[in-house]
Amino acid sequence: MLNNFEHSQFAHCESGVVSTLLTHYGLKMSEPMAFGITSTLSFAFLPIIKLNNMPLIAYRALPKNIVRNIEKVLGVKIFKKQYKDILEANLELTRLVEAENKLVGLQTSVFYLPYMPPNMRFHFNAHNLLVYGKKGKNYKISDPVFEEVVECNEKDLTRARFAKGVFAPKGFLYYPMNIPSSLDYVSILKKAIRKNAKSMLTPFPFAGIKGMRRLAKSIEKLQNNKDARYVKNYLTHIVRMQEEIGTGGGGFRFLYAAFLQEAKTYDLDKDKLQKASELITQSGDTLRLFALKCVESAKKLEKLNAKEISEILIKASTLEEEAFKMLKSI
Amino acid sequence: MKKTEVPLENNSTLNGQKKVMYAVSEKGEFSRVNYGSSVEEFATITAVEEYQNLQEECLEEIKQNIASPIKYFMYKNRMDISTLSSVVGMFSFRVKRHLQMKYFKNLNDKIVQKYANAFGVNIEEIKEFTHVK
Repeated sequence: MLNNFEHSQFAHCESGVVSTLLTHYGLKMSEPMAFGITSTLSFAFLPIIKLNNMPLIAYRALPKNIVRNIEKVLGVKIFKKQYKDILEANLELTRLVEAENKLVGLQTSVFYLPYMPPNMRFHFNAHNLLVYGKKGKNYKISDPVFEEVVECNEKDLTRARFAKGVFAPKGFLYYPMNIPSSLDYVSILKKAIRKNAKSMLTPFPFAGIKGMRRLAKSIEKLQNNKDARYVKNYLTHIVRMQEEIGTGGGGFRFLYAAFLQEAKTYDLDKDKLQKASELITQSGDTLRLFALKCVESAKKLEKLNAKEISEILIKASTLEEEAFKMLKSI
Repeated sequence: MKKTEVPLENNSTLNGQKKVMYAVSEKGEFSRVNYGSSVEEFATITAVEEYQNLQEECLEEIKQNIASPIKYFMYKNRMDISTLSSVVGMFSFRVKRHLQMKYFKNLNDKIVQKYANAFGVNIEEIKEFTHVK
């Protein structure tokens, strides 16, 4: 077990875990850096994919994007493993944290974690956490979205690691193996920012800026929908996807803005970074306002002004479009 | 978001925990701050209540011999058909059928056991389902 492990709380689970892992294994990296360097900011609105009868809305790239891309981007070697055998997965985890004193990251479901508040337990399979030790039958866990460290017994953690469904974790376990000694941050950052700009400005109509506008259109249609229960659920579903799953959609914007701010310490176009960072912060604020309006309307459906709500989202998309057009040529 | 604008409302769904976001100071520097949002609270509670409503409605359907207890347990575990079908390892059209009383009555124990495992209950709790409030 690690005795000197220090827990900290992050805005988002996956970037928090990767940032802690890299820092622990010798490469100091902040959460915004881990998030930005892997070009994780995104938007997707896929009405054909349904979750509990609601369309898929995502404010960042697919789960595992950070773990996968950090290898390629930084040239670090990360040990990654999924398991078929539940027993083997458990033995290996115990061996790593007990005998080898390693800090490891895991992908889990949220639903089966006993320390999660009951109201937060949904079948969301792409949660990430760190295990830093074991005491008796209990694993010592540093969950990046919690204020303090927590414990979880073997049985429940195993259940959470082998939950089925969309993004099934299959016991996914990971930790860095070796860290490169020197990194050319200027070129890494340039590439990462350009890549993210490209994905936000994609012509594909269900992603990036265009995806935001597509969602705005679908909100406008709610005005004439007579099914009050559906409208209420739809509006709050958007807010939950934005603010709760992982962290806020507004939250992801602030995270990226913080990344651009940090990128200014390297030899890049500082004016562009500063301006883009401000624009994306504004977009995050706008998305927060958007969430507020969605909830207000869901509370009082007779006062629903769908056009007003959709225009707030369009405003956020315009801010991001301006920012990423600028960043494209950094 | 500016540090001074960060919401500090109560969010009962987090059981006293506070989440973290990056906020910007007057000097333009970002750092992590705790926040609490009643907007998020409302959205979560709506989702939780929706499952409770579905459970209530399902109890009515069970009384009328339309829906099976499996449907009730599905909602109780906050699942939809696609999640449940991947947990029990059956195609969703089969699961959909098992949610109806007329098909449920003819199910053998082996299949009901699969559902019992998925919901973490005894097989009897599903087979001899009587809901006591």
